[in-house]
Amino acid sequence: MSNLNLTLKIWRQPSPDAPGAMHTYKVDNISTHMSFLEMLDVLNERLVKEGKEPVEFDYDCREGICGTCGLVINGVAHGPRKLTATCQLHMREFKDGDVITIEPWRANAFPVIKDLVVDRGAFDRIVAKGGYTSVNTGNARDANEIPIGKEDADKAFDAAACIGCAACVAACPNASASLFVSAKVAQYAHLPQGHPERERRVLKMVQQMDAEGFGNCSNHGECEAVCPKGISISNIALMRREYMKAALKTGAAVV
Amino acid sequence: MSNATPNKWNIKMGADLKNSIPEGPLDKKWDNYKSGIGVVNPANKRKYTVLVIGTGLAGASAAASLAELGYNVKAFCTQDSPRRAHSIAAQGGINAAKNYQNDGDSIWRLFYDTIKGGDYRAREANVHRLAQVSVNIIDQCVAQGVPFARDYGGLLSNRSFGGALVSRTFYARGQTGQQLLLGAYGAMMRQVDLGKVQVYTHREMLDLVKIDGHAKGVIIRNLRTGEIESYAGDAVLLCTGGYGNVYFLSTNAMNSNVTAAWRCHKRGAYFANPCFTQIHPTCIPVSGDYQSKLTLMSESLRNDGRVWVPKTKEMAQKIQRGEIGPNDLAEEDRDYFLERRYPTFGNLVPRDVASRNAKYVCNEGRGVGKTGLAVYLDFAESIKRLGRKAVEDRYGNLFEMYERITGENPYEVPMRIFPAVHYTMGGLWVDYNLMTTIPGLYALGEANFSDHGANRLGASALMQGLADGYFVAPYTVGDYLAGQKPVNPADTSHEAFKEARDGVDKQIKRLLSIKGSKTVLELHRELGLKMWDYVGMSRTAEGLQKVLKEIPALRETFWNDLNLMGSDMEWNRSLEFAGRLADFLDLGELMALDALNREESCGGHFREEYQTADGEALRQDDAFAYVAAWEYTGEPGAPVLHKEHLQFENVKLTQRSYK
Amino acid sequence: MQQADKQMSRPGVLSAVLSIFNTSVGRKVITGLTGLGLVVFILGHLAGNLSLFIGAEAFNAYAHKLESLGPLLYVIEIGLLAVFVFHIVYAIAVTSQNKAARKAGYVQHGDAGKPSQKNLSSQTMIYTGLILAVFIVVHVVMFKFGPGMGSGYAYELHGEQVRDLHRLVVESFKNIWIVLGYCAVMLLMGVHIRHGFWSAFQSLGAYHPRYTRLIQSAGVLLAAALALGFFVLPIYIYLFVELPTV
Repeated sequence: MSNLNLTLKIWRQPSPDAPGAMHTYKVDNISTHMSFLEMLDVLNERLVKEGKEPVEFDYDCREGICGTCGLVINGVAHGPRKLTATCQLHMREFKDGDVITIEPWRANAFPVIKDLVVDRGAFDRIVAKGGYTSVNTGNARDANEIPIGKEDADKAFDAAACIGCAACVAACPNASASLFVSAKVAQYAHLPQGHPERERRVLKMVQQMDAEGFGNCSNHGECEAVCPKGISISNIALMRREYMKAALKTGAAVV
Repeated sequence: MSNATPNKWNIKMGADLKNSIPEGPLDKKWDNYKSGIGVVNPANKRKYTVLVIGTGLAGASAAASLAELGYNVKAFCTQDSPRRAHSIAAQGGINAAKNYQNDGDSIWRLFYDTIKGGDYRAREANVHRLAQVSVNIIDQCVAQGVPFARDYGGLLSNRSFGGALVSRTFYARGQTGQQLLLGAYGAMMRQVDLGKVQVYTHREMLDLVKIDGHAKGVIIRNLRTGEIESYAGDAVLLCTGGYGNVYFLSTNAMNSNVTAAWRCHKRGAYFANPCFTQIHPTCIPVSGDYQSKLTLMSESLRNDGRVWVPKTKEMAQKIQRGEIGPNDLAEEDRDYFLERRYPTFGNLVPRDVASRNAKYVCNEGRGVGKTGLAVYLDFAESIKRLGRKAVEDRYGNLFEMYERITGENPYEVPMRIFPAVHYTMGGLWVDYNLMTTIPGLYALGEANFSDHGANRLGASALMQGLADGYFVAPYTVGDYLAGQKPVNPADTSHEAFKEARDGVDKQIKRLLSIKGSKTVLELHRELGLKMWDYVGMSRTAEGLQKVLKEIPALRETFWNDLNLMGSDMEWNRSLEFAGRLADFLDLGELMALDALNREESCGGHFREEYQTADGEALRQDDAFAYVAAWEYTGEPGAPVLHKEHLQFENVKLTQRSYK
Repeated sequence: MQQADKQMSRPGVLSAVLSIFNTSVGRKVITGLTGLGLVVFILGHLAGNLSLFIGAEAFNAYAHKLESLGPLLYVIEIGLLAVFVFHIVYAIAVTSQNKAARKAGYVQHGDAGKPSQKNLSSQTMIYTGLILAVFIVVHVVMFKFGPGMGSGYAYELHGEQVRDLHRLVVESFKNIWIVLGYCAVMLLMGVHIRHGFWSAFQSLGAYHPRYTRLIQSAGVLLAAALALGFFVLPIYIYLFVELPTV
């Protein structure tokens, strides 16, 4: 495969409060075997050599599991390849001469820290409200004491596979966090271990999600399409069922 | 028993180390210990603050468990969320001696396998405790809602892993590390909601604060704003993972680093067995100079894949140039070198043996791929034997991952694989309590050296991280705190804080002021190549001596010709990486020295001078059945060696063979 | 305990229950429920309209029957009004919150493709909805509150004088602009229902790996059928119905 010459349009913003703008860069001779982030590494090496500040973008494991990386590439969160986080996107998905726009996750709940790096602390605050079972260390009984059917275990896993990258929020026309929150709610709804706190969990997590300033889910389903783990919007429906059951039983939106 | 005269490598010797292993028979030690330790009065626990550095399996589980007990915990991570620590990337599974499969597993067997797998360079008492608590880990994780794989009957499913003779590995598809970490992270976030844990994200520990010899605080850089922050506490737990990134290319995450551990080393914590690193044979090979990291594929691939290279260099070169493909080679032109050399185990030889042999054939010029640094892992025969569907069922997601990264279809063209650095068994020296040589400073998980000896078994890393965090540290830290007067966490006015903060600030300013010509990435790559070539999967005295000259020279270049952009008071990733590289340069030198000193081959440490006629690792138990713990003296190249002699009272030392 | 007591007091109970519908989930439950209610109403309305094809007598009889329901009609009308108002108010609230959730937008927009359900319909719900809301006001003013018997629109039905709604409708749809405007709005209604129908199910938590596909397909068919169904009437009148002589 031949190498690529590309034009990159990248969002640059020096600090959280400073205004940002799109800047244009050319990169030449990009191997199609490079990952997208390696292509940006190459750009940054050149920028530093030219005495310019490198483009800041977030990443860590570069194998699609930590959920740190995330760029909106040509208007699509994590770029053109399905079920693939930005770090596992490779340049063979692009053609010579392409113009590629690169923007950060956009949502009020995710303020930009610098350039393409955003703060996703809102997700942690949501998890703190109920993304767990309240079991102190040492309190557990034997792991095989409660059998869990394979199907339920598999469904729980499907939901638990979420890497928390927040592409769902970035892709959602409403900047809704429903897919993320529902995946956590669904994981525990499918497992007996999650049942004692079932109602409390969904009420508190939804309450926190709303407090963080995410939008409402109006069922565009764009989240599922960009999710590197293919988390289904069926989880959102499940969360709504869980929520209404819990809220109507409690008689209020809060516990 | 101190020995003032340097040894033949001009290494100074210090006093031998005591490991505070409790008395009693092996299987009673932990229980005896627990009955005898100091306990903090419940009403007083809230007066203590524990600082936890790193939020992977060890850190998150320790933070949660200590907070549950009533201590105040401050947890720090470099990532934007504690959930992203690199434990998340572990694929395979977690061992536990549950014996659910009725195949004769036991705590003893897990203990024995771990000691033997570690090539008899681990401490018996620690490993036995690890095996004991392994069963509690699974219970705890299931109670947390970790979705382990299950059978149709609803009970937990197990597989055998890494050549173990029993099925004791619990797993959650290929994402076990992720699921375990999310469980521990959830437990910690629950304590955040309860006000017992405060999580500080995008924070990097840059120094340890010692007051009267005890660890009483940390200096942290806020990566978002660049501010240098001070935190006081009654104990510091380092849960900062391994140092594989000293090789530049490894399967570690890009932000994994040794800095927190190394700065503690500089403050007096001994660093043990740094040369014990593990290479994983089935990684996706490097495709070019731009390569930033290596991706591991589960070892299970070797169950059905056959490893080969062309018989001759000429044919390999044609393949490297792309003139012919692997499928053009006739059966008689292929060398299935593992099957040929190890007829009994064949493609299933242990990680280090498979890795070393791949390196040898590539050194002979018979490697494949554009770089010549890869061997084939061929599924053609399995597809013929089992059918494509069966192969897809077993390895579908791995094949997909391979295809995503390389753009090649492994159903049609053999996979290319090459070994990569994966795990580091060495780390800060700790005693039985997981306390380093600095009182009040603990090291948990991969950051310590204690449980895996010279080689770690598959699915044991997760086990150790969680054992340390959930079940060991909560007891041992409490024992220490019971004898300490609580500090005021808001008071960082002590001179020691100022001194440490000034040191950190000075180094940052110095890095930014060099204004040379080389980028951090270039220099790190250069160090990595040296480490890989000379302190990689096979080592010689000659090579190690060579690299011991080259690393200091590279360090000179680093401190004189580094080019950093931006300032210190903002998000500046190059600056972060520069600080880490400074420590890797020091560590690299220590690793080479440790490897040079250890004149034997054991586990992941292979000295070419010490091998059997069959090319197997040859241990020198009489001379080297000890832990090499290195003390920093102010000069990276001149550390003092302290030995902890390993006593094997329960197992007999044997030489392994896979012929 | 004090807090619990406070919550037990009467206004507290009401606001607590109402708080359920002031969350991201609750709001969508309201828009979904009311939306489905409106689909049912539209189906009923269309069925009623079909009597126009039979002739003036049948249509006026149908209209008269509705009017003679008396107080019951008011109940129905108020209920219907409430459904409309809730649907509109909640939809506006949802949309404005959604806009506010991303103040700094993207420079470039893209589509992720399947299995996304994002399409023209899903992205224009607020616009099609608002146009429909305006249309409904005009529609009601034009026909319900339009000229009645006092203005000469009287019809003798079985010896009784009733309002000649048929004539009003036919006269209106003899105006080509009204026909075109009406059809355009009905097309937008179809576009609205295209996303709205399946989305309502999803908002109410009804998802099934197989049935949801059917609901989505049914939504497309229903949207097309309703739009076409409402097209037929004005076009038929414009082309084929003679203007009744007074």
